[in-house]
Amino acid sequence: MKDVLTKQHHYNSPINDVWAAITEQEKISQWFIKCNFKAEVGYRYSLLSENDNCEQIGGEILKVNPVNELVYTWIVAGTETVTTVTWKLEEKDGGTLLTLEHSGVSGYPNEETAIKMFESFNGGWDKCIEHLDKYLAGEEVEAAHGK
Amino acid sequence: MKKSKQHTVNKIFKAIADANRREIFHVLVMAGTAMSMTQISEQFDISRQGVTKHIKMLEDAGLVKTRAKGRERFCIAYPQQLQQVKDWIAFYDKFWDTKLDDLGKFLDQT
Repeated sequence: MKDVLTKQHHYNSPINDVWAAITEQEKISQWFIKCNFKAEVGYRYSLLSENDNCEQIGGEILKVNPVNELVYTWIVAGTETVTTVTWKLEEKDGGTLLTLEHSGVSGYPNEETAIKMFESFNGGWDKCIEHLDKYLAGEEVEAAHGK
Repeated sequence: MKKSKQHTVNKIFKAIADANRREIFHVLVMAGTAMSMTQISEQFDISRQGVTKHIKMLEDAGLVKTRAKGRERFCIAYPQQLQQVKDWIAFYDKFWDTKLDDLGKFLDQT
């Protein structure tokens, strides 16, 4: 089973802006998930639910190498499994190439998967889920057209 | 993942995408026994038609089963169905795609 999920995305913005967006608490809270975050090695960050500020995801900052690399652990609240998220930035084609790696994902034992994930959603992942919902809806439309 | 399974997973994601449906499902799971539509409706500040609609979606996803008894319809939760969503890689794959697009939108507007 593959254990590292890798995503690449090119942005037109300068590398400093992308770095700020992924390391500054206020910016992360705007586009990603509301959080307590400091780009300092050893800092214990939390991603919070919108309504009640409950920790949904938490972890420790492992590596900060401005403006190129940020690494932190990613632990879903209520689960024991430690996964790792790595953000790598490089200047490319007048913009920034982001490579995101999420490793350790296959380490979730079966019994703590779906139920815990559901509970995380329940705490306030509405926005994430709405996006996911749209994504999935789009996918179904595509599937229907493909028939 | 097989198409049919993916289809089921999509239905489950849709079913739990709504806060009211999650609440209804949660109440049913906690009850651990069949509840009538009336009993469920009494616990929520939504219309009976609304509850019926939500139950229908939960039922489509296999998270709830219903059966008629006299004039009432009874519902029971099947939380085991959530095990269908055990593919975290598939989940995170979609999650990061969405989030990295969101980052692009954020960067474009600032």
